[in-house]
Amino acid sequence: MRDLLTGPNLARLICLLILILLPLVVPSPYIRHLLIITFIYAMVASNWDLSLGYAGVFNFGHIAFFAAGCYGSAILSKTIGITPWLTIPLAGIIGVIAALIVCLPVLRLKGIYVVLVTFAFSQLCFQLVLSQEEITGGSMGMPLLPPLKIGDYNFARDGKFGYYYVGLFLLVLSTIYLHRLVRSRFGTSIVALRDNEDYAISRGISLARQRMLTLGLSAFFTGVAGGFYSTYVRVASPEIFGFGFLSLALSMLLLGGLNSIYGPILGAFVITLLSEAMVDLGPMRFLIISALIILMLLFYPGGLNNALQQAYKWSSRSGAAARLFRTNARN
Amino acid sequence: MDPILVVDRVSKSFGSLRAVDDVSLSVEEGEIFGIAGPNGSGKSTLFNIITSIPFPADSGRVVFEGREIQRMRPNRVCRFGLARTFQKETSFDTLSTLDNVILGSTYGRGTDDSAESRKQAGETLEFVGIGTDQFERPAAELSVFDKKRLMIASAIVTEPRVLLLDEPASGLTKPEIDETIDLIRRLNQSGVTLLVIEHVLPLLLTVSARLLVLNHGSELVTGTPDDVIRDPHVVEAYLGSRARHD
Repeated sequence: MRDLLTGPNLARLICLLILILLPLVVPSPYIRHLLIITFIYAMVASNWDLSLGYAGVFNFGHIAFFAAGCYGSAILSKTIGITPWLTIPLAGIIGVIAALIVCLPVLRLKGIYVVLVTFAFSQLCFQLVLSQEEITGGSMGMPLLPPLKIGDYNFARDGKFGYYYVGLFLLVLSTIYLHRLVRSRFGTSIVALRDNEDYAISRGISLARQRMLTLGLSAFFTGVAGGFYSTYVRVASPEIFGFGFLSLALSMLLLGGLNSIYGPILGAFVITLLSEAMVDLGPMRFLIISALIILMLLFYPGGLNNALQQAYKWSSRSGAAARLFRTNARN
Repeated sequence: MDPILVVDRVSKSFGSLRAVDDVSLSVEEGEIFGIAGPNGSGKSTLFNIITSIPFPADSGRVVFEGREIQRMRPNRVCRFGLARTFQKETSFDTLSTLDNVILGSTYGRGTDDSAESRKQAGETLEFVGIGTDQFERPAAELSVFDKKRLMIASAIVTEPRVLLLDEPASGLTKPEIDETIDLIRRLNQSGVTLLVIEHVLPLLLTVSARLLVLNHGSELVTGTPDDVIRDPHVVEAYLGSRARHD
């Protein structure tokens, strides 16, 4: 229990507390909207970290899992009429199904071939959405999706108050899930496969099975995020397949740091807030963010998370040194 | 008694190169069986195709405890009781030393309880001579000798009945080689049958009961260490034909 309240964990809890209290202090609905979008990005990026970072599987179809959740939830809620309270968790299952489909051709592929197949899968989903106009609305998308409600209370009211807390709750759930997953023996085994595939197989780990689990497990909260996203913005649009969304999520992952779960979440906050702070610069801000990522990768490949951890280690060490110094001085 | 491991006329080609050409061997239970040969003679390839990691043989049979395993999925081979090490120092670099071995216990041996896995891993590391002070270090930071012993630990924690060691002594100092020899003997005394590949002959001559010498992918000779070093073909393979005449 004491472990829970020291070091990085304490910092995380403080961040969570700030996020819980923020809407009570900051009245701006626009800031709330930004943070809701950040929660969604944070979920997508941190779950992507499971496959791209921990397992080292170059999965570029991750956004397709998100899109599957978006459209899955949209179709279930608008066309079939199921309440969004159910379609959001169901979107997670739809994301997993999409992951299992892309899994089959990449189970035993390596490196660049995984990139090609998963990217192609993503494009295939895009074409599918465009072509099935009666179901998905084609290039127009599916507008006016049913919102989250309790009784007659629409969650978009009072400056999106309700959506903010649902989004934050989902992000917390997803993070606990990932945190536990990467510390389990499953988490260790996928890192082992990444470090040395043949060696891992020779110690009884099944490449195909663990890869299927990796993609499937990384898709659940990604799909949930997709379902929540389309319910929140009330439209499922093919724009999410665009390069912008993919590169934004990837930027968050790289800036925040791979193999850390918390890094991509941090990256999501930093990039959203940075690009908002520079909104007056227009398209220039993307150039600046790209330059930042390149600098980060060159000089700090571990990302922001790693930088913070080292700063923490350094400060606790210098703290220990200071204490030691004081005791010596007294004697 | 039937041999514990029979390799029956296995071959493996890469393009036009026959890396292993029609090689057979049989190992008795409890034996230390050596495999020698110059560089590129197919020793490691032979281990690869016995364990199907990373590839199985093109043809031939591998019979372990009476069952054919040449078509078994590679990750199952270890559960079945046949474990191997690799020629290069291989480890899961970003995982801790202890986690490296715990993986062997959970996935290779099937230990479900994580506390039990930890215990098995700790005991095994101590058995191979890695101190508790190294347990939490990332495996990448270990010395060459410790990495080699770690690789052996992660193999024996799976409780193999046959262990394949690929050049356990390469790159080690003389005292380290002596410790490795001692480790191989202790393993053997605990009931493990061993196949040992070594490029340098002295280690093999010391530990093994019988030796197979490979050259250009095929069997040159099989016999006791004494027979093998006297064999003119072996001298020729190692030193060249002029050595034979001089």
